[in-house]
Amino acid sequence: MRIVDRNYLFARGWKSAAPILFFVPGFFLYLFIAVGPSLATAVYSFTDATGIRGIAINWIGFENYDEFLFRGAASRDNIAALTRTLYFSFFVTTIQFGLGLLLAVLLKRRLRGTAIFRTIFFMPVILGVAIQGLIWKLFLLPSRGPAAQVFEWFGSSSEFLGGQPRQAFIWVIVVQIWANVGITMVIFLAGMQTIPEELYEAARIDGANGWQLFTQVTWPLLTPAVNTNFLLNIIGSLQAWQLFLVLIGYRPGTQVLGYLVFAEGFGQTSGSVTSAFRQGYAAAASIALFMLVLIIALSANFIVTQREKKYMP
Amino acid sequence: MTAAQEAPVETPKRQPSMKGTFKRHKLLTYVVLLAFTVLYVGPLLMLVMTSFKSLPEFFRNPTGLPESFGLSNFTEAWELAKFPSYLWNSFFYTAVATAICVVTSVLVAFPIARGYFKGANLVLTMYIVALFLPPALIPQFQLILNLGLFNTRTGFILLFLVNPIGIIILVNYIKSVPRELDESAAVDGCGYYRFVLTIITPLIRPAIATVTVLHAIGIWNELVLPTIYLTNDDLYPVTRGLIAFEGLYGSNWPQLAAAVLMLMLPMLVLFLFLQRYIISGLTAGAVKG
Repeated sequence: MRIVDRNYLFARGWKSAAPILFFVPGFFLYLFIAVGPSLATAVYSFTDATGIRGIAINWIGFENYDEFLFRGAASRDNIAALTRTLYFSFFVTTIQFGLGLLLAVLLKRRLRGTAIFRTIFFMPVILGVAIQGLIWKLFLLPSRGPAAQVFEWFGSSSEFLGGQPRQAFIWVIVVQIWANVGITMVIFLAGMQTIPEELYEAARIDGANGWQLFTQVTWPLLTPAVNTNFLLNIIGSLQAWQLFLVLIGYRPGTQVLGYLVFAEGFGQTSGSVTSAFRQGYAAAASIALFMLVLIIALSANFIVTQREKKYMP
Repeated sequence: MTAAQEAPVETPKRQPSMKGTFKRHKLLTYVVLLAFTVLYVGPLLMLVMTSFKSLPEFFRNPTGLPESFGLSNFTEAWELAKFPSYLWNSFFYTAVATAICVVTSVLVAFPIARGYFKGANLVLTMYIVALFLPPALIPQFQLILNLGLFNTRTGFILLFLVNPIGIIILVNYIKSVPRELDESAAVDGCGYYRFVLTIITPLIRPAIATVTVLHAIGIWNELVLPTIYLTNDDLYPVTRGLIAFEGLYGSNWPQLAAAVLMLMLPMLVLFLFLQRYIISGLTAGAVKG
């Protein structure tokens, strides 16, 4: 059997195996550390695996799922975390999408200084969660920080990240959007660059105003970028939890599903990883999160396809 | 004044009035952009100003300008934690893992793009599907643990050797390189490896740069994996080191701010130089539909 395709023109004989030989290491790594473990998550979710080497792993069927969803106070917390994940995702997606679009539209006008503005708004993306989180922890310092000062001017006050769970949760949403709106913005900007300028000119000659230019030209022709951002924002925000780790830690009443997986699988505090943690249970939680992402992403994808049919027949 | 009375004069006036609207729009645009800029620069400014204050000064006047611009916070923070070691570790992990990832990715992407072996399309589909699979977190941990690589540099680097998005970017780019090139090189007796290394690689440099930058940033900024896999602070990268520093000295904000500032500086400088590649990487394929 020949593995190498007929259109391969380089050496014949044993040397023709070269593309396969060089292909194998990368592909092996992919199977071994990416796809394999990814699929194995489902397998682990049916076991009582711990994070300790040498302890036997037993098959326990649907036990983890049963416990995760239906048993006692913990399951009620889990369901609450699930709902919270949906809230988080909804607010992050809609606001980040809206602000990203607004910024892109404003920067598209090519006024003086737009390159600098774009750099500024994109900057947090490359700083990473640890630095994003610490910067905002300082900015939101209760009673002393700049944000507290602003609240004071308006005769109000807030405990910010240290306040009620709901309050802390809202601030994490704010930071999440602050940190990632730059990605949404540059994707919109890249999409806008593919719209031919003549279309705007033609529409202007026909007497279209700014708003009409946006709704009749920009928005329909931006469909690919709109769809990408919509899906990326939904999937990204459902899985995001790292800012919770940096900003508020594992606090009851604030966790989202992603954080729950981490906390159950690896312990709530960092550094003490090797003590007995419930990795089977965490794997089940992680499959639950995956199902949630899958269902929502598929529905979103359905909406997106309908939109594409409408605008790009 | 009625609309009917105004109608005849409107035509000649149209030009200046449109200019007026344009100016007003322009002003409004700047106002909105500047408002956002305050939200972005404000937190950074607070960080910079805090890093120059002494602790008592910070308590007295947390938001104002610092009284002087001494560097004592920076030197003290530098001595309190193993920052040179964190920086070196981050650099080491990022460089080694990115190099291996990019080289293997090019060698995977090229035959896929050319269809040089059977099932190439299936393999490409597998890389795309990988983007939607459940997170590998738990089994990956079991794997590293059972290989005896927990809390080691090797085990940590192993986690960053694969980048499916990178493969997709490379495959798409290689497809734009004309196939005739392969044919004439083969006819001239050029070997496969030499061809990929000396002819294809320079031609796909923009895609390689994009993948490199994207992958490297991901590793440099990763916080969760070092939290899970590294318990020895000699092995900490910058992100984990910063959080550990916060845990120990977090109440001393001026020092912490100085540490954050020092550790974010390399990234910030790189960003200003590589912005184009970073942005092209993040938007690659996003707008083609």
